[in-house]
Amino acid sequence: MFRFAPYVFKGLWRHRARTMLTVSGAAVAIFVFCFVVSIQEGLDRLTSNEDAQRTLIVFQENRFCPTSSRLPEDYARQIEDIPGVKDVMPVQVWTNNCRASLDIIVFNGSPPEKLRNARDLTLVSGDWGEFESQRDSAIVGRKVAARRGISQGESFSIGDITVQVAGVFSSPIPSEENLIHTNLEFLQYRRGADAAGVVTQHEVHLTADADPDVVATAIDEKLKSGPVATTTRRKGAFQASTLSDLLDLIEFAHWLGYACVGLVLSLVATTTLMSVQDRIKEHAVLQTLGVRPARIFRLVIAESGLLCLFGGLMGTSLALAILGWGSLAVGAEGVTIAFRPSLQLALMGTIVSASVGLLAGLVPATQAARTQIVNALSQP
Amino acid sequence: MALVEIRNLSKQFSKGDEVIRPLREVDLDIHEGDFVSLMGPSGTGKSTLLNLISGIDKPDQGTVTVDDVEVTSLSRSQLADWRAANLGYIFQTHNLIPVLTTYENVELPILLLPLAKRERQQRVELALEAVGLSDRADHYPRQLSGGQEQRVGIARAIVAHPKVVVADEPTGSLDNKTSEQVQVLLQRLNQELNITMIMVTHDSEAAQIATRQLQLDEGKIRELSSDERATAQQVST
Repeated sequence: MFRFAPYVFKGLWRHRARTMLTVSGAAVAIFVFCFVVSIQEGLDRLTSNEDAQRTLIVFQENRFCPTSSRLPEDYARQIEDIPGVKDVMPVQVWTNNCRASLDIIVFNGSPPEKLRNARDLTLVSGDWGEFESQRDSAIVGRKVAARRGISQGESFSIGDITVQVAGVFSSPIPSEENLIHTNLEFLQYRRGADAAGVVTQHEVHLTADADPDVVATAIDEKLKSGPVATTTRRKGAFQASTLSDLLDLIEFAHWLGYACVGLVLSLVATTTLMSVQDRIKEHAVLQTLGVRPARIFRLVIAESGLLCLFGGLMGTSLALAILGWGSLAVGAEGVTIAFRPSLQLALMGTIVSASVGLLAGLVPATQAARTQIVNALSQP
Repeated sequence: MALVEIRNLSKQFSKGDEVIRPLREVDLDIHEGDFVSLMGPSGTGKSTLLNLISGIDKPDQGTVTVDDVEVTSLSRSQLADWRAANLGYIFQTHNLIPVLTTYENVELPILLLPLAKRERQQRVELALEAVGLSDRADHYPRQLSGGQEQRVGIARAIVAHPKVVVADEPTGSLDNKTSEQVQVLLQRLNQELNITMIMVTHDSEAAQIATRQLQLDEGKIRELSSDERATAQQVST
């Protein structure tokens, strides 16, 4: 098969403009497909990582936006007494936008020593000491820092909140890198907050043998008689529920992704079919020289596969580059989904484009392989 | 024993309500080293006979046997393999692959054979030398004259060392001078390399280079006698 490689490559180069247009069309479509897949991947990472499954979020019952959930801070002590609970971290959440946004800023205020134990954060600049000692200091997620151009030592203001950036952190959980962590008291006592002794949610960490759902039920049962009723869910379920409006959009975007794949299929199939119809006589000549119909079939499949693969690799590379450099995230109601490049995404983009290329070549290749030699040779 | 044995070969076509029978129970033997020219008026089935010998068309009746292989009973894939190893085809309109160089066009048929790259290279170089185009190896068909293109087509037909070379009006699209050069080349290949050649032609002058001249008329083949050949030669000169 490789002996015919010059014929395949030169054949593709024969109609440069057509080939380039098809490759660029495939690239754009696969780029969009990869982007859609990265949103899905981000959502999966957010809702199905171990932290999301083994951590509970206690939120005010029937409340969704962080600004509307107001739980007593001392619920933490009551929750800590429940069997299976290892630690409770009260969190005050502030966000600049409760609706869906591509540039959402979310502050999480919590006691620094609890945050350090609860989250797997690594400071890439700055130090914990400064963060723990200064009430208005904050550590900023790497992605939000890149997106907003924030670096350690600067002050960062949004709305009526101003923090001193004590450091920039990375995290194995991509969405975590879109958060800004500050001191709980700083957010509670900020101007106009009216949140002394009140938090948005409690983050509950469990012992290794605890059943999250049993503990969640126990928490809600215990706090039912308190001043504010609660809804406790696994963190992943809580995030999925919080993002429910976005989930519909993501589901719809999924179909757009499939539509893009269909578009590539149609585009490459059309181009390959045109190419085959231009070369009916040439395929008859090849058969006359001794090329088997099955080999003609494979040559056409190789052409369509390469067309699609070139486009797919371009689209996938572009998507990975933009996802890598762009620090993109979409969020709603204080929860963010991070878009990240991944090996899985690269493989999926490549495999989908190669598979679509092979599929797109089936009809043209069959047509080429079935060429009736005598009739085709008599064509002008 | 003949290299090519044609027995009771018939072929018919339908053209609307009309049934055309270009070949009717044709019998023919062609021996190794023969140079056969096949003449006849348009539409008498010369090319059809060539296509049947080449296995690119199927007869309605009869058999074609080449070197003990009954070509008419082979499948499409078997025929392709057989052609790659045993048959060279020279087209009237050259039919070179436009995106390939002269070298690559000539190499094309032997890519199908189990030959090492070095041997393929030697064969291509020898074939190009035989047709006098060694210096045009890197040229594309668009950079060649009609005569040069046909010589590339001839090199392509002989590069696999086939048992039989068939030529369908090889000089039909060439001017007189180029046509003569191609005729001389075919004659030389037949004589020097002992290649068995079957050539369809309209041109009685071109037919003179053959060692045997056949006339196809009303579905039957007839071999010209030496008197008829002499007369034909006088007419053509």
